[in-house]
Amino acid sequence: MKNSAFLHFLTLLLFKQKSKHLGAILISMIIIFLLSSVLFISSSLQQSLLGTLDEQPDFTVSRVEAGRAVNTPVEWIDRITEINGVSKVTGRIYGRYYFAPREKSFLIVGIDFFDEQNSRTLKELVDGIDLKVFLSTPNMLVGEGVRKYLNAHYYKESFSFKTPQGSFKKVNIYKTLPEQTKLIANDMILMPIDLAREIFGISEDEVTDITFNVPNDAEWDNIVAKLHLLFYDVRVVEKREVRKAYENLYNYKGGLFLILYLITIVTFMLILYQRYSMVYSSERKEIGILRAVGWSIKDVLKLKFYETVVVVLVSFVLGVVLAYLYVFIWNAPLLSQIFLGGANLPNKVQFVPVIHFGILGSIFLFYAVPFLAAVLIPAWKIAVTPPKEAML
Amino acid sequence: MSVITVLAAGMLLHYITYDGRKQESGLSRLTGLTGFSSPSLSVAYYEPRLFLYDEKTNPAYPQMQPIDKMDLIYEK
Repeated sequence: MKNSAFLHFLTLLLFKQKSKHLGAILISMIIIFLLSSVLFISSSLQQSLLGTLDEQPDFTVSRVEAGRAVNTPVEWIDRITEINGVSKVTGRIYGRYYFAPREKSFLIVGIDFFDEQNSRTLKELVDGIDLKVFLSTPNMLVGEGVRKYLNAHYYKESFSFKTPQGSFKKVNIYKTLPEQTKLIANDMILMPIDLAREIFGISEDEVTDITFNVPNDAEWDNIVAKLHLLFYDVRVVEKREVRKAYENLYNYKGGLFLILYLITIVTFMLILYQRYSMVYSSERKEIGILRAVGWSIKDVLKLKFYETVVVVLVSFVLGVVLAYLYVFIWNAPLLSQIFLGGANLPNKVQFVPVIHFGILGSIFLFYAVPFLAAVLIPAWKIAVTPPKEAML
Repeated sequence: MSVITVLAAGMLLHYITYDGRKQESGLSRLTGLTGFSSPSLSVAYYEPRLFLYDEKTNPAYPQMQPIDKMDLIYEK
């Protein structure tokens, strides 16, 4: 019964002082919302990208000249194939095509569709594709962003690429790549490897880079050493480096986000300090009356503690839920541009829901502990003074 | 309070029932086909588009560390 009276009083107090708590709830909610949104976007991107790594080749080799990557000789493919333990050695043709009039660029990737595995994967990826029809004329598959961009500029059926020789190569838009691949393929154009070669003006004895797999992980370091012995002008990118880059995709231990976090937390603490250290006379009076009618210091602190816990929980849950809706239902407009950029083709990605409950818990602790301290310490200071003085 | 409970329950329900396999398989197939897993960053032409592959240098100061605005977001 004693408890229910206490709860009744607590509820009455919360509703009576609604306007006082609404401000604190609103500010806290916005901070939690922003922190959680950033966390949700980064976790989702990280998980989606790490999931694709199994399909990525283990090594990528390219020739460097004066520190810059240049086209790689095709004969390197045969020399790499001779290394023991190496499999699936493939030359790639890719590059960015700059559409000068609008200062936009596309990523063109040439694929060897006569390769059995590639043609099988393409059939699985694009529903209803007829490879015979696709390869019979110059055709390309475009990402969602490219399609929208070309449509908006009246290239509805085909696009004419300008080759380095100054001639134009008209390529038909065959199909759009599935929408669920937008995270990687938004600005991508897939076309037969010979067509890509023609558009970039890359000769038959060159490729952009060479990829290969080494099924035995223990051999990886050995293979890198052999590559460096074979070629002096080589740059090797390993899959484990790419994995590391994705694991650090969103680096909250350093850089811009650390600064943002610090600013947010310090601002929040300052607001709380200002809000609660200047205890209003009404609050002093309220604590004084409670003490005068026989409440102990413990009871007063208990009341303030529960009052604050309600405010903390409501703002935290609301902040997290709104962040979830914002990111995973509305696809994070504006904020997603920080992660995906906005200088080229706009990319609106559907984020796959990923929640790291451990990090959410840490945010809750970082937020709740200073909040409770900022409320309870001033309340305790008043509670320990005699009621007569507190009410003055 | 009931509104908050309903919102939180709705969020958990969406999280549990969401099927992201279609997107995952689509991305994996595309990576298998192209060999690229780098996100489609909407960057200007002079900024790196592919993680670890594109290294742009300043032609006037080749020794200077290249920096683009995405470096602030993604660790290199």
